[in-house]
Amino acid sequence: MELILCGRGGQGIVFLTRLIGEIITAKGLDVISSETHGMAVRGGSINSHLRIGPFSSSLIRQGRADFLLSLDFSETVNNKHYLRSGGLIVENAPLPDEPGIKRCDAASLARDLGRIQLENVVLLGFASTLKGFPVSEAEILETLGKDPREKVRSLNLKALEAGIKAAC
Amino acid sequence: MAQKNSPTVRFLLGNEAIGRGIIEAGCTVAAAYPGTPSSEVLESLVRWKKELDYPIYLEWSINEKVAFETAYGASLAGGRAAAVMKMVGLNVASDPVLSAAYLGVRGGLVVVVADDPGPHSSQTEQDSRFFAWFGKIPVLDPGTPAEARQMALRAFELSEKYQVPVILRPCLRVCHARQNVSLSTPQPPAYVGPFEHNRQRWAAIPRFRLVLHGELNEKIEKIRQDEPEASPALIWKGGGATAVLTSGSVSSHVKDVIASDERLSSLDVYKVDLPFPCNAGALQEIVDRHQQTLVIEETYPVLELQIMDRRKVSGRLTGEVPGQGELVPELVEDIILKTVGLEPPSRDAPTIKPRRPSLCPGCPHRPAFYLIKDIFDEAVYASDIGCYTLGINMGAVDTCLCMGASVGMAGGLSRLPVPTNHRAVATIGDSTFYHAGIPALINAVHTKAPFVLVIMDNSMTAMTGGQPTPGDGFLADGSEGVPVDLERLVRGCGIDFLEVVDPYDHDMTRESLERAKNYTFVENKGVAVVITRRACVRAAGVTIPTERFQVGDQCDLCMTCIKDLECPAMHLVKEKKKIEISADLCAGCGFCVHICPSQAISSRGV
Repeated sequence: MELILCGRGGQGIVFLTRLIGEIITAKGLDVISSETHGMAVRGGSINSHLRIGPFSSSLIRQGRADFLLSLDFSETVNNKHYLRSGGLIVENAPLPDEPGIKRCDAASLARDLGRIQLENVVLLGFASTLKGFPVSEAEILETLGKDPREKVRSLNLKALEAGIKAAC
Repeated sequence: MAQKNSPTVRFLLGNEAIGRGIIEAGCTVAAAYPGTPSSEVLESLVRWKKELDYPIYLEWSINEKVAFETAYGASLAGGRAAAVMKMVGLNVASDPVLSAAYLGVRGGLVVVVADDPGPHSSQTEQDSRFFAWFGKIPVLDPGTPAEARQMALRAFELSEKYQVPVILRPCLRVCHARQNVSLSTPQPPAYVGPFEHNRQRWAAIPRFRLVLHGELNEKIEKIRQDEPEASPALIWKGGGATAVLTSGSVSSHVKDVIASDERLSSLDVYKVDLPFPCNAGALQEIVDRHQQTLVIEETYPVLELQIMDRRKVSGRLTGEVPGQGELVPELVEDIILKTVGLEPPSRDAPTIKPRRPSLCPGCPHRPAFYLIKDIFDEAVYASDIGCYTLGINMGAVDTCLCMGASVGMAGGLSRLPVPTNHRAVATIGDSTFYHAGIPALINAVHTKAPFVLVIMDNSMTAMTGGQPTPGDGFLADGSEGVPVDLERLVRGCGIDFLEVVDPYDHDMTRESLERAKNYTFVENKGVAVVITRRACVRAAGVTIPTERFQVGDQCDLCMTCIKDLECPAMHLVKEKKKIEISADLCAGCGFCVHICPSQAISSRGV
């Protein structure tokens, strides 16, 4: 299972990568990921690679990713070459689905919750309902529910719920 | 590798795994200067220290040279110590590092140097393994975060056994990879006993340095022959006619590429964990035994050059491996396929239009740059390393060489004995000024250099994640430190013209820059310094104003706010032929209100 997450610096890509990786680690599986730090994080294009299985390299080759999770639809084009044929794009955009692209207006849902920064968790909640996605709603709920900061925890759980609901 | 549900397996960033390895080795002093991709090592040490309640002294040093010297002092005092930096930081620390190799160490001393093939966030693609060779220092080259943790432990053992500093060289793809990593219980703090007076060693004059050089050569030869990591390890046994020799993070790509392609299963793959001093005889045996050997390593031909007879070897020296750029898995795949006579797969060229990074909305550097550009116009803008390098988007940065170079170069830019029509204006951040700007400023004052220096003080090392500077009142672990007053420091360099302004205060900043311009370029009184001071918008405790703004009908689409101010919150909506301000991105600084030539921007309330 190989997964690309992309967006703009500041959208919480690293947070999502870490969250998924921690869930997989807790399940006792091997997981390796690669993330962007440094200057690009100042609003530039960023992506994370996440690979579950017996891999040593943290990078996904072109044409091999099963999922592309895109927090900014203008970044999808910069990353879709990673997707294998039959792979699925999950995109944060106020547009209808297309073949091979599942969309959720995570930004609007996050704004409704009062914080645009929650769009990453909204989109993850949406993605978690899709067939074959490597982490389930229940697993994300369990991990986010462990956050000791009450306000952060409650906002994240609301965002997760909003994303899951959007998929139904 | 992972044990099911074991609490001793964690999903760690490579740099966190290295931090963990440092503590597990019983290290009690670690010093660093932040720099991508190395910064999270010391940050993680702060967290490990707290989590494990471990007695380790941690410091963000003023620069890498001081970080190394701090660690070296701690080693001579008998403890295990680490210095952490990025590869260009090793350039800054090179003087003491190279001497320390001669003198040797007492407690294990490890220098973590993060390389950045690409480069993604750096000025060079230099290979610290090559630097290690130059300095006659053993170097370990991890391929994954899990390996990086183990090698950190091993580096301390080797250092103490042979009494030499050891470099641990992770590449960015190890530093910024995350992996499930197995942990072990930290050893108790290591201590080899108190400082031993030995002036012929620790204060060696040249005559004794000659002796020490001989000792170092003997140590290196012994490591080359005796240590298992110096010899290539077979990581993929194919039994065929072609061998691949590899090292470090690129070895992980090699392994995955070969494991994913049946046609490559007959290759023999060897990995060298200690690329200097590696066992050249063992390398030669591999080369002799195979019809051809491909060497894939980042970023210089370190293993390749240690093979004596290279007639059957391909790699960087023969052009099969490109001389620059990161060896990404696709490239590794193509190189290996071509080596065995197979056609690389055709790949659609990705249509990539990467978004350029910008100063954050509300960044105090933005109004400072805008006004500098407005007032000094056609000047040559010497700038430096940090977030403010992004002033390049605003046309307010012409040069960016290395840490502290803005001040030194501004002096040189105005030295030609021919009339020039430009003036020099230097910009530098507070952390970079402390790091390497101070000697250059003293030099400029002393030699009456005619330039204006703007120190952009946001009270932290922002680009690398907000580490404290000597100007702050707190240390790496949040405990109290002595803040070194920037104004007193600048005055102490001999500066007479010094003003401190708030870059959010448009009039105050403009007037101050005008006075500086007059002082330096009209009255010819030498260097003028203006400090633009306001905390980074990303700093903890900074509240973002809730006031938001709108663009009215007076807007004539002159694009000043988009092109000159370059605020990420402003964007042109082509269909509407209107400029809009994104409420999601706007940070409420309100500077756009001041700069709009049509006065079309107004508040729409809080």
